[in-house]
Amino acid sequence: MRGFIRESDGHLSAVFEPEEISLLSHLAREAGELVEEWRSGGETPADDPAMLRLLPDAYRDDADAAAEFRRFTADGLAERKAANARTVVASLGAETTAKTTVRLDEPTVQSWLRVLTDIRLVLATRLGIEHDGDTGYTDSDAAILLGDIYDWLGSVQASILDALAEEPGHSAFHA
Amino acid sequence: MTSGWASTTLEETGTGERTSERVETDETIQLGSPWVTIVWNDPVNLMSYVSYVFRTYFGFPEAEAERLMLQVHNDGRAVVAIGTREEMERHVEAMHDYGLWATLTKADA
Repeated sequence: MRGFIRESDGHLSAVFEPEEISLLSHLAREAGELVEEWRSGGETPADDPAMLRLLPDAYRDDADAAAEFRRFTADGLAERKAANARTVVASLGAETTAKTTVRLDEPTVQSWLRVLTDIRLVLATRLGIEHDGDTGYTDSDAAILLGDIYDWLGSVQASILDALAEEPGHSAFHA
Repeated sequence: MTSGWASTTLEETGTGERTSERVETDETIQLGSPWVTIVWNDPVNLMSYVSYVFRTYFGFPEAEAERLMLQVHNDGRAVVAIGTREEMERHVEAMHDYGLWATLTKADA
């Protein structure tokens, strides 16, 4: 990846390796499917800790109020998360074997920030990352790979935030 | 967004006993005990992202967004907004949209 830079027209652009495009596309699709499956499953809060982190209780000490809030907001939140995932997948384009420049306008940047967060929230629950400093499970090659992906997604998001802080047209080149 | 509300800290209006000509304070008094939006620390979200959300959604100046982000990080939580229950529910929903862990509660709870 060549991290995100801000172009003169305000768009953000980055260059990804083909495997990175494929990985991002796959993870965004999975994140979208997770919330879509939850939506079609009815009103009860999922037992899946990942879903509970994506749609947390809005009241800590009032189960009734938390349930009421969830009844009115969860479906809309899940719908927006699924729509963000679709936006990210669309912005990545088709599978490719070449390095790809991805250009994002402002609304698409917002979807990216949220989807990267959602994917990392899900991966963190799968990796057992619960407190600051937790590195997550490292007891299998699969877990180690997942941990690397989790960290890499964080660096993609950090790159977007850095680029957003740049003045349009005065962006430094990020190697 | 509602930077007037959002930048009014709990300490400034929490008692609700002072009279003030400022509109937001008047509304707080009329509505009785206000509600607050709390953002909780989590190990996932980047500090720069939390700060970005505080700036862009609540309209906090950079220094205030940074201060609140560090409060979340160091103390485990921070009150980021105060107002009516309905307003705080909107803020909490927006925070969940961003993937931040937020709750609301009565200010005196």
